[in-house]
Amino acid sequence: MQTTSTGRRNAVWRIGSLLPAALLLVVLSIYPVFNLIGLSLSEVHWADGQSASTFVGLDNYRTVFADQPVYWAGVRNTIVFAVLAVTFQMLLGFCMALSVQNLKGVPRAILTAIFLLPIVIPPIVIGAMWRLLLGRDFGMVNALLQAVGLPAVDFLGNPNIALFSVIGVDVWHWTPFVFLLLLTGLESLDQEVFDAARFDVTSGWQRLRYITLPLMLPTIIITLGLRLILSFKVFDEIYLLTGGGPGTSTEVINFSIYRTFFAQDNTGLGAAMSVLTLGAVAVLIVVVNGLVRLRRRREAKA
Amino acid sequence: MLGFHHRKGRWTRRLLAGAAALALAGPASAEEIRLLISQSPWLDAFIAMVDEYEDQSDNTIALDVTPFGGMVEKTRNSLRADSGSYDLLALNSAALAEFYAGGFLQPLDAIEPGLTVPENVLTFGDSTHWSAEKKAFDPAGQLLGLPINGNVQVLYYRKDLYEAKGLKAPETWEELEANTKALKDDKTYGFVTRGAKDSILYNFTPYLFSNGGAFFKDPANGDYSVVLNNAQGLEALETYMRLAKESGVENPGAVAQAELIQLLATGRAAQAIGVIAAYASLNDPSNSIVAGKIGTALIPAKAGESHSSAAGHWMASIPRNVPAEKQAAALHFLKWFVTRDAQIDYVAAGGVPVRSDLADAFEGDETFDFLPAFSANAAVSQMNMPLVEGIELKDVISLELNRALIGEISAKDALNSAAQKANDVLVKAGYTVTPPGQL
Repeated sequence: MQTTSTGRRNAVWRIGSLLPAALLLVVLSIYPVFNLIGLSLSEVHWADGQSASTFVGLDNYRTVFADQPVYWAGVRNTIVFAVLAVTFQMLLGFCMALSVQNLKGVPRAILTAIFLLPIVIPPIVIGAMWRLLLGRDFGMVNALLQAVGLPAVDFLGNPNIALFSVIGVDVWHWTPFVFLLLLTGLESLDQEVFDAARFDVTSGWQRLRYITLPLMLPTIIITLGLRLILSFKVFDEIYLLTGGGPGTSTEVINFSIYRTFFAQDNTGLGAAMSVLTLGAVAVLIVVVNGLVRLRRRREAKA
Repeated sequence: MLGFHHRKGRWTRRLLAGAAALALAGPASAEEIRLLISQSPWLDAFIAMVDEYEDQSDNTIALDVTPFGGMVEKTRNSLRADSGSYDLLALNSAALAEFYAGGFLQPLDAIEPGLTVPENVLTFGDSTHWSAEKKAFDPAGQLLGLPINGNVQVLYYRKDLYEAKGLKAPETWEELEANTKALKDDKTYGFVTRGAKDSILYNFTPYLFSNGGAFFKDPANGDYSVVLNNAQGLEALETYMRLAKESGVENPGAVAQAELIQLLATGRAAQAIGVIAAYASLNDPSNSIVAGKIGTALIPAKAGESHSSAAGHWMASIPRNVPAEKQAAALHFLKWFVTRDAQIDYVAAGGVPVRSDLADAFEGDETFDFLPAFSANAAVSQMNMPLVEGIELKDVISLELNRALIGEISAKDALNSAAQKANDVLVKAGYTVTPPGQL
């Protein structure tokens, strides 16, 4: 009898303690997603000051797949952007973390502060700043190039270069984030493993290859996943640097959604684009989660 | 901004004239007018006029100054609510049709029966009126707004370089091309084009209309069949691309308004077609090394064709979803703002006027040399996308024009593709249109 009563009290406590969080989740996450899905199945028109919503089934999704080449150019560019930017951020961030880990005292504090500087600057300022730096006629980067006898480069105006210029700015901006996470990961590694390995490894490379990297793998995967997901959200930097042009050379998914949803006021089509993007990011999260779990399972077996 | 000439005598005259105009406009009631306005280059001049109005009226004006990019969203949110947040809305020409057609605005002659657009106030392609039946701007339709800033495009040129080379302001595109070649050297672009994706349609519009082309067959009567891809359209686009590429920047497809003004202000560009609102900063010595050397003229046309400029003006409209007394107060301000005396002060403060009868007020004052060119261009200004789907159409057409400019596709393919995509948008929106042919 007492056991049943305790069990009931525990159940009430569990439900009661989870309820506020669950309600918040429903109101702030689940309801908006279902609302977005509902919106993607309709078309909204305004006449005589009133809105009229018409159910159109999957028409908006058909339009996205059959008749929105700019959105798909954005998908392609976003993938290129995410892969290249995150790859460079991971490599540079890891190198920076390793270099700072080996320092002590004032040099470490100074280097850490310098490395972290870009991350505290708002993206909107970064966009404006790099637009000035990379400008063809008046930019400082071209002034430096010309000072050493090199020709000026139209970093943001040349459609063959513009995307890579934008990726370069993103790498500059977000590498400190990767650096910070990886440095934290490096510092939390068990030093006893390194001490014990002194007898088996003969070089710094071997220590990195056979000890540091395997131990850091969970942190690396989490950081990689975070950056990949965040890179799909890129908007403000590109908005200020190139406006998505020239042509579709720097168009990204969020641009298409913004333009369709807000500028064109085409809420149904914009919602369909958002749902598809949301689905793709959700798949990405599941993949990253799967990799982390797989790794844990292997470790457990070992 | 234009130099603010604080002349005591003139201001006293204006104050008295303004007070008289206010008295004529009707009794002022003590209302706070909530006004949504864009953070544009002419804002300071507008604020000066708000101050002047408040000095002369019991009404006060609360400005919500918003960056251009957020204006449409704020306007929609206010208009679509049961009770509006603003009593007066500044509407850019690009989104005008959407708000006119949506049925959100109170006809001005419903607030004051018998009201018409005052004489000499510019209508920028009849954009003060909207016909719900024709789905078009139509002087016979409802009066839904009055202009508050007449931002049209003009031809900018360097007066000193023209003088040195013995050139005159071009009347035709051929003459402009000849001037461009004569002005180009290692340090100077002969002519700069605003060809970035979000700017190109506005910049291309005068080329199209003044070559005898058009976007739509007969928009004034509601026939929006796309006719962009014809011989005139092709000639216009080829002229546009030639001027952009031969003597201009390496990648004109990335030049937006800010770059264009920067190139002119730094003396890198000898000529450009740009908005009249830039004139003030181009002639301000603290912003421009060519201050005093910039001339303005009517945008050229093809020989034998009519001149044209693209309307990029701002209208002010009054929402339905605000109380009647607020509507009356908003109209009171609006009627005062477009009076000749108020407009003279607006120009003196650095604003772009909305009247055609101001040139003589500033005769002999070099600071206001832009007025004749402004009036000439304003008189031939046209709306390029005068329909509800204008923003979507702008996006699809702009992309194709931009792709042609950066060399991704030919001019012919760009026009064919733009026409087809624009037609698709119109068909989907329920318009009865004749499908475009192929060039």
